[in-house]
Amino acid sequence: MHICIGSDEDMQQLGRQIARVLEKGDVLYISGELGAGKTTLARGIARGLGFTGRVSSPTFTLMNLYPGTPEIYHFDLYRLQVGELDDLGWEEYLEGNGVSLVEWPLVAESIFPGEALLIHIDLVEEDYDRERKVFISAGGKRYMQKLEELNEIVNTGH
Amino acid sequence: MKDILILGIETSCDETAAAIVKNGRHILSNVINSQISIHQQFGGVVPEVASRKHIENIAGVVDMAFKEAGLEYSDIDAVAVANAPGLVGALLVGVSFAKGFAYAIDKPLIAVNHLQGHIYANFLEHENISFPAICLVVSGGHTSLLYMKSRGDLKLIGETRDDAAGEAFDKVARFLGLGYPGGPAIQKAAQNGLAGRYKLPRVFMDRNNYEFSFSGLKTAAMNLWRKSEKQGDANISDLAAEFQEALVEVLVDKTVRAGLEYKVNTLLMAGGVAANQKLRNMLKKRAEETGLQLYFPALQLCTDNAAMIAGDAHYYYINEQFAPLTLNAHPGLWSL
Repeated sequence: MHICIGSDEDMQQLGRQIARVLEKGDVLYISGELGAGKTTLARGIARGLGFTGRVSSPTFTLMNLYPGTPEIYHFDLYRLQVGELDDLGWEEYLEGNGVSLVEWPLVAESIFPGEALLIHIDLVEEDYDRERKVFISAGGKRYMQKLEELNEIVNTGH
Repeated sequence: MKDILILGIETSCDETAAAIVKNGRHILSNVINSQISIHQQFGGVVPEVASRKHIENIAGVVDMAFKEAGLEYSDIDAVAVANAPGLVGALLVGVSFAKGFAYAIDKPLIAVNHLQGHIYANFLEHENISFPAICLVVSGGHTSLLYMKSRGDLKLIGETRDDAAGEAFDKVARFLGLGYPGGPAIQKAAQNGLAGRYKLPRVFMDRNNYEFSFSGLKTAAMNLWRKSEKQGDANISDLAAEFQEALVEVLVDKTVRAGLEYKVNTLLMAGGVAANQKLRNMLKKRAEETGLQLYFPALQLCTDNAAMIAGDAHYYYINEQFAPLTLNAHPGLWSL
């Protein structure tokens, strides 16, 4: 599915809608260039999962943990090279008891689980002032079902 | 009274540092082994690389701290270490080394919060700082305003809702191809530029609170750059100057306003971004205009160092607040 997003508020709203189909153990990959709105979307998801504190891209620590319901693991893999993923200790998170949001997932493509919700945010004509196009697809059966639910929520507004 | 000598160890990010401080004031040695050149190729700190480098460096750095101070291991009274916040693998190197070292020389261990250490860097150099005070902590991971009632009594009154100031510098520098770390890179580019040729927003959020937001400024800067590149009139120095000015103006405005509203006499600044010359000058000017006394650490004490850890630890030592040898590292303890 793809959605047009006109503002920060709408991006967060989409995040809250996505949060409604999420549960423990879910993995989301969020791609898009610097400034596209990945962290804004992640913030909306975190809000939807009940976390009201600061959500920022974990550029420095590589992962932030937010005490939502369930817990949220927010990754930023921008700087990592393929060989450096091993020591991140990501398995215990991605296969654990929370929802994992992974920004800049490309480097982990063949290493992290393939079953996931895949979200890509595009600028329109490379213009940051304009709307964003958000593409959402599913890897694996479980996520296909979630995608259908999400489609329903986005289309009907509730 | 007998002098108290404390060894400080700091490995929270990309500096392996050790220092010996006497009586919480006098720096006898301050050794910093920076990994910046290693991390430059990645455009930022890579945790695993950082941890490995810390392991390679720590023993030599500590030895150097003793050598420079002209002391023996047995001369010191306690071992202090930054155990939060930071990169967990990196912190653990310092924590593990400090535990082993303290145990071996049979001296107490002291745990210091890295951010609090940054604030107390001010106390290493300045005597008689009067309270209450407002403290601006600005670094790669933080942009926070704190109300300090007394030396150990800190209250958070506002922080960034998204990017930290240093993070915004890093990201914009990366986008413009200016390199890492972004703060010095942008400051350098800005020297040849003029603020005001480009127009970037000053994002104050609500004027009545002490919250910051730098994500929008970052995006606006990138957008402006793309557009002017298309038009063929792009000037990287001018954009760097305007970006720096926009960010600094907001920091200065909120800090001074907090100082006035909380009716303090003193403003303190701490953290890596406190090394930014524009920020130092602008805040100094505004502090003078409003009659507030401003302190900031010398440049070499703004960035990560171990003297601030050993200095802060002095007060834990006096109060006998020691850490057990089961001490652990806490990466996520971002708040004070």
